[in-house]
Amino acid sequence: MALFEKVLIANRGEIALRIQRACRELGIKTVVVHSEADTDAKYVKLADESVCIGPAPSPKSYLNQSALISAALITGCEAIHPGYGFLSENAYFAEICAQYGITFIGPSPDAIRLMGDKIEGRNTMRAAGVPIVPGSDGELQSLEEAVELANSMGYPILLKPAGGGGGRGMRVANDEAELNRYYLTAKSEAEAAFGNGALLLEKYLPKVRHVEIQVLADSHGHSIHLGERDCSSQRRHQKIVEEAPSPAVSPELRARMGEAALKGVRAINYVNAGTMEFLLDPDGNFYFIEMNTRIQVEHPVTELVTGIDLVRWQLRIASGEHLTVQQSDVQIRGHAIECRVNAEDPERDFMPSVGEIQYYLPPGGPGVRVDSHLYPGYMVPGNYDSLLAKMLVWAPNREEAIARMKRALTETVIHGVKTTIPFQLVLLDDDVFVDGEMSTRYVAEIMSKWMASKA
Amino acid sequence: MDLRKLKTLIDLVAESGIAELEITEGDDKVRIVKSSGTPQTSHVSHVYAAPTATTQTAVPAQIAVAAASPTEALAPMPEGKIVKSPMVGTFYRSSSPGAEPFASLGSTVAEGQTLCVIEAMKLMNEIPSEFAGVVKEILVENGEPVEFGQPLFVLA
Repeated sequence: MALFEKVLIANRGEIALRIQRACRELGIKTVVVHSEADTDAKYVKLADESVCIGPAPSPKSYLNQSALISAALITGCEAIHPGYGFLSENAYFAEICAQYGITFIGPSPDAIRLMGDKIEGRNTMRAAGVPIVPGSDGELQSLEEAVELANSMGYPILLKPAGGGGGRGMRVANDEAELNRYYLTAKSEAEAAFGNGALLLEKYLPKVRHVEIQVLADSHGHSIHLGERDCSSQRRHQKIVEEAPSPAVSPELRARMGEAALKGVRAINYVNAGTMEFLLDPDGNFYFIEMNTRIQVEHPVTELVTGIDLVRWQLRIASGEHLTVQQSDVQIRGHAIECRVNAEDPERDFMPSVGEIQYYLPPGGPGVRVDSHLYPGYMVPGNYDSLLAKMLVWAPNREEAIARMKRALTETVIHGVKTTIPFQLVLLDDDVFVDGEMSTRYVAEIMSKWMASKA
Repeated sequence: MDLRKLKTLIDLVAESGIAELEITEGDDKVRIVKSSGTPQTSHVSHVYAAPTATTQTAVPAQIAVAAASPTEALAPMPEGKIVKSPMVGTFYRSSSPGAEPFASLGSTVAEGQTLCVIEAMKLMNEIPSEFAGVVKEILVENGEPVEFGQPLFVLA
């Protein structure tokens, strides 16, 4: 099985650069697509070839399936790496690639479709013996059904769009009155946002951690898990700090969660990199919430503690190679933390900040890794997500990793836009974080405390 | 630096893919920048000063060359109305091999008239002209891959 000669990178920003780096180290030629907003980006010029695929708006460029396929065909690419976001979890796009003889670097269209539908995903995992959050068997058929189920399960409950993802469109109801009030609005919101008004009902677990398991599977039936990442530090369901290992996960729990994740992987014949997301309650019970059938933003956290290059394996697995890492080879060593530095103003409710990066000085020194497409003069566009850089650290233990991350963030200079760094420094200093006691809602509390202290 | 050497350098830049050339030779420094299609010189010190015995030393010329980006067209936009590609694909001058091209140099075209075909994923897309005018330049070859926004035709 020969590696690809040329791969099309159907994404932008830091992940496009990340994929380029993995290709380059494997001797694979790179074709980077870009919209007109990204024409002058340095990572575009770094690629072997580039193709402008459309104007700035994503639907006409990074989501433009025919432009992407056409770009791959005219440059002779054998494979497309979709990165994360955009078309990475679009089963239809994966099918189109297959029709044109282009390898989609990721799982099969069926696996994507199955896990993309939250109802199907839940049912499939439950059938595979993976614990799921207690809730409705499928789509809620009526308000009456919702009320009956909620009353028997106990409040609070969560109304969740079946066709959604990324934590969007969810509503918590604390009692029957709220459920009655929110049911219809939640349905129409879901319809508007995802084109699908179907709702699920789940038990709402108030004090949980978001703990996800990284998996890798080849096309020859071999799969492994690479341990967990704790992503409980979230603001409005968007992750801002991630770490591995989780302070709440013992080696024994890791083994159980990993095995549960692999049960799911095997049940759907999953191939390539993926992540199973779980909620972990204070009693050590874990529940599947969803699977991300792609490489994730926070993948470097796992790379740092395991020493395994995930994007490199994505390319190798997609070209048919055997995954030669055995489960016993996977060792979790030391502690890694990632801060997503976004172009947002934490003092103005994280309002997006666009503009030119006038000065950029990334951190360095021992145990520091920076995944970023930034350079002085870069114009932060308003059309895409606000991620500027992923700052990562590794240290022998959690205490040293926190100190190292604070040191690295303090060294970082990004002039020209507002960044989330001031808030992340506050977070890293907070007792709850330092004690490892994070749960998914604590960032909101820290935010309120911080804003109050500035008033 | 004498005039002959300077002219040679100017010709070198004009004919090559070099965008900018700076040469330092002793006290003399010349910078040649290619813009508007023709190289322009700027001399930083007295280029035409007659060599004197005291200053003329055999210092090796230091050449700083800014190479043209391999992925972009070096030449800036030509003058006239430019028709750019609205899609990614392969450019063809005519609807099929051997057929008459839709437009040739000197053709007069009306707004909306088909100028060329761009093939993407086996589908032929006729590309209309946004302008009326006379075809002054055809910037791509038949069968060449084109990207979104790439200049195809220049109309006068």
